[in-house]
Order: sequence, then structure tokens, then C-alpha cells
Amino acid sequence: MLKLKNVSKIYGNGATKVVALDKISFHLEKGAFAAIMGPSGSGKSTLLNIIGGLDRLSEGEVLLDGRRIDNLNEDNLVSVRRGEVAYIFQQYYLIPSLTAIENVLLPLTFCGRIKSREQASDILQKVGLTTRANHKPSELSGGEQQRVAIARALINKPSLILADEPTGNMDKTTGKQILDLFDELNKEGNTIIMVTHDHQVAKKAKITILLEDGQIIDVVNKAG
Amino acid sequence: MSILKLVIRDILRRKKRVLYAALGVAIGTMTVIGILTISLAGEERIYDQLEKYGPNLTIVPSIYNLDMTLGNLSLGTLSVGENYIAQEKLSKIREIADREIKLALNINDDGDIAVLAPKLFINTEVNNISVMVVGIEPSVESSIKTWWQISSGKYFNGSYEALVGSITAELLKLDVGDKLLLNGDYLTIVGILEESGSSDDYQIFLPLNTMQSVFGKQGLISSVDIRALCNACPVEYIAETINDSIQGVRAIAVKQIATTEMNLMAKVNNFMLTLAGITLVVGFFGVLNTMVSSINERVKDIGIMRAVGASRRQIIRIFIYEAIIIGILGGFFGYIAGTFLAYVVGPLIFEGIVIAYVIEYLPVSIAIATVVACLATIYPAYHATKIKVADSFRSI
Repeated sequence: MLKLKNVSKIYGNGATKVVALDKISFHLEKGAFAAIMGPSGSGKSTLLNIIGGLDRLSEGEVLLDGRRIDNLNEDNLVSVRRGEVAYIFQQYYLIPSLTAIENVLLPLTFCGRIKSREQASDILQKVGLTTRANHKPSELSGGEQQRVAIARALINKPSLILADEPTGNMDKTTGKQILDLFDELNKEGNTIIMVTHDHQVAKKAKITILLEDGQIIDVVNKAG
Repeated sequence: MSILKLVIRDILRRKKRVLYAALGVAIGTMTVIGILTISLAGEERIYDQLEKYGPNLTIVPSIYNLDMTLGNLSLGTLSVGENYIAQEKLSKIREIADREIKLALNINDDGDIAVLAPKLFINTEVNNISVMVVGIEPSVESSIKTWWQISSGKYFNGSYEALVGSITAELLKLDVGDKLLLNGDYLTIVGILEESGSSDDYQIFLPLNTMQSVFGKQGLISSVDIRALCNACPVEYIAETINDSIQGVRAIAVKQIATTEMNLMAKVNNFMLTLAGITLVVGFFGVLNTMVSSINERVKDIGIMRAVGASRRQIIRIFIYEAIIIGILGGFFGYIAGTFLAYVVGPLIFEGIVIAYVIEYLPVSIAIATVVACLATIYPAYHATKIKVADSFRSI
């Protein structure tokens, strides 16, 4: 499903050279729920961005379903983002001028499918936000906003969901609810990679990849 | 949800920003529309004034020694003896004038172009006072002397009627309805002309046919005024051709006031349009600046949209839509402000100018504003899509 081969990310050169990721290799099967853990600056988010095609690697290969996606041109990356990989961010990143349901519809808008309101309501119902569909992000709580972001990620039925500290801005209770939602999505067959520095959060994942200074220092596989 | 709806939602959220950008565009178009409106009104004003100069060619018999004026211009003297032009020469004169004008303006029309106003002057006595009586073609004369106003009574309607100049009417104590004895025939005075400050005030006007039969001058005229009012009309050349090809007449070109005025106007117009162009270029950079900061403000939004599947082209399209809306708004404001500017500034440039709004300039204004807004948007928008998605989140 997902395979990383010697992925490195280097910023700058010469004396100012910073190695953010140093020859990272791992692979995940379909339906996996992986947590990438590590302290701040360990390269977690950079790794996630490279997997999702939001950032370019310096060396190595990323393969999704056997196809290299690290060297794709912009047009092909767009098609990867339109259905293969979906993103969920710590700060939710909703468009403030749009209502919840419109934010969910946004990916479809860019795919040219402009009449899919029903599909969007179904997904909002799934994340438990039916009654808040017509509210703007500013009128929603953090947990609700993240649910909208999750619904937005799901609408294109992606094969891989990438979440960058999805509960980082939440209190414990809300965070747990969101994690339960991820758990549920995983049980339905979604492949999820989540970046976090919270051990409690990581416990939900079946595989934990531990990063430090841009290198994998441990991989814990609870599924065995 | 369509992309357009997305754009409109975003504009509604950032009303002030969008309005500022629209005002930036409006300043540029305001100047252009203001200048266009002023110069159009100025041109009309000049045409108006030109009409008051009356004819621009006059044809007299070869010998003359009586003071003659044309509008406010002295044309020398005309002798009122037996020196007449045969009326049949009119068709020949018309032929030459029309041919030359058509050649000059590149017209392939068979219709008449020049207006020919034949006149018959007779100096006679009314109540023992010497008066100049003028025979005219009623319909033609009124179209040449657009400034003619009837102060009482009405214009000619039939034969054996007379129009009396204001001073003559006062001097001879004549009024509408009075009978006038001329060379043994009675005529009815149908109207008194309003004072014009020209020689018309001292004259009595009769229809040409009546004049000819009253004074026994059938088929004769004293002079012909020709009006060929156009910038490019070769009046001097027409005069020359008539002098060369018709015996016994002398054609005089009225000095080319029209040409001079129009040339000046064209120069003023060019200067002002250059100025407007410069303003537009300066305005463009203002709008560019607004657009750059407006787009930089939304680097994160661009990143979000790209992360959920927007292509670069779609992002640019979003900004172009926004630019079009800004352009329409700015063009509309610019049109209103430009018309107002013309209203305020116009009279300072052309005395006595009448500024009217020109609705045809509204689409022009919107088009200019839209083009400017789009041009100012494309570069920063394109540049913004070059930022890596991951970096766009970092920049906030």
C-alpha cells in the first residue's frame, strides 16, 4: 500500500545544511493505522507532508499502491490529492467564508462535481454534525471544526488519510471523541497515518513509528 | 457548490478589502472616463460654435461693391447693380461642391451633401427709408442660420410673406400682420426676427420666388452661401474649382476656422488621453500592489484549497473571477466618478461646456477596469500557486 525507501529531506547546503529526514524506510499495509511519534523537530510533519505530496523530498522514493508519487509533476499530484490521499490538520484549516457542509463539498468542487450535497450530508451525519451543517467555522467548537475537516477528508473516499496532530488543539474529552472517530474510520477499512507527540493518542494506533532527529529509532507493531 | 460561489462567499467575507481594490481600479478608470466625457462634450461644443459661423463658402458675381457680411465675418463688398448670377448655375455649383466633398470624405452616396442657399439682394425704399430686401429659400436658409429665432409671429409658410429684421421692424414700426408695399406688390409680414447682432437685423427677408417676381428678377440671384461643414471638407479647393469652371462668379472660402478649432481639439484630446493612459498605468501598479497583498494574505487559504485538490489553474481562476468582480465594481464606480469629475472639471477647460453622462462609456469603463484588475491579478496569483503547499501553512 504505502512504501518509503530511504526518504531524506535536507534543507540548505554547506555549513547551513540541516537534515530533517535521514533515510527513512518503512511500509504499511492497506487498512493500517499508524502513528508517527517523536519530539518537536524530529521531522514528523515533514515526513507526513512528503507522503502526502505537500512537500518534496531530497532523496529516496515514496510508493503508493506500487506507484511512485514523490517525483510526480504538479498536475499528477493534484489527482493524487483528489482521491488517493486526504489531509487532516491540527488547525483544521477550514475556509472561513464557507459553512460546514460547503467546506465538506470543497474537494468535490475542485473535481468539478458541484451537485453532491446529499453525499456531503451523509458524511456530516457520520461524523455527528448534521445539526451544524449550515454553520460557519467561526461558530463551531474546535472538536466540531475537526469533524468538518474529517468529513472533508472522507468525501473523496481516499485510500490514505494523513492526520497531522489532529487532536493537538483539543481538550482531553474532545480529543478522545475525535480519536474514537479515527478508530471507527480505521475499522471501516481506511488506512490512516497520524502524527502526534502524545502517547495516549498513539496508543489508539496499531503501529507506532518513533522518530528522533529525522531517523526512525523504533517501530512498535501492536497488531503483531 | 461551484467555484464562482466560493469566490462570492469569500468576497462577501472580505467586503472592505475587495472594495478598496475596486476603488483602486476606479481611480484609473475615473480619469479615463472623465477625460472622454469632457472631450466629447468639448467637441460638441465646438461643433455648436461652428454652426454659428454659418456657411463656409460663398459665391458672388464677379463685380460687387456693397458691404456684405456673413455671420460676423466681413466678406467684402457686393454691387447691387445688374450683376446677378443666373439661377441655373446653381446645379453646376452643387455638382462641384458635392463631388469634391465626396472625394475628400470618401463617400459613395448619390445624395446632396452641401447645403446651397441662394440669395437675391435688392436695395429698395419702404416708407421712404432705404432698406435691404433679401430673397431666400426659406427651408435652406433656416438650416444654415441655426441661430435664427422668431421673436414674434412665425417663419415663412407661403409666398408673398415677409420676415423683418428686428431693427428694421423698429425703425419702420412694422409688426406681424402688417402689409408691406414693395415695388407695387403687397406682402404680409408673418414674423419678426430676434436681434442677432448681424446685418440680418437691418434686412427684410422674402421667399426667393416672391422676391424674383416682385422685382422682376426671374432666374437671377445675387449670391450663394454654401455650407459643407466638416473638418476635412476642402473648402478652399472647392472655391478654386468653381472659380475655374464657372464664368461670371467668384467663390470665396471662409477662413478655415473649423479646421483650426478641430485640429486644436484633436491635439487637446490626444494630450488628455495620454494623461489618462499614464494615470491608468500608475493606477495599474496601485491595483497590483493591492492584489499582491490581498493574495499574500490568503497564501494559507490557497494552501488549504490545493491540499484538498485544487489545481494551480483553479486557484488562478478563483483570483481571476475575483478580479472580474472587482473590475465590474471598479468600472462602475469609475464611470460614476469620472462623469462627476467631468462635470466639475469640464467647465474649467471649455467655457460654456455642457457635460452630459454618456451611457456608452459605462461598458467601456467596466471593460478597462476588468482588464486592469485581471492583469494586476494574474502575476501575483500565478506566483502564489508556485509556493509549496507545505510552505504555505508555515508562512502563517
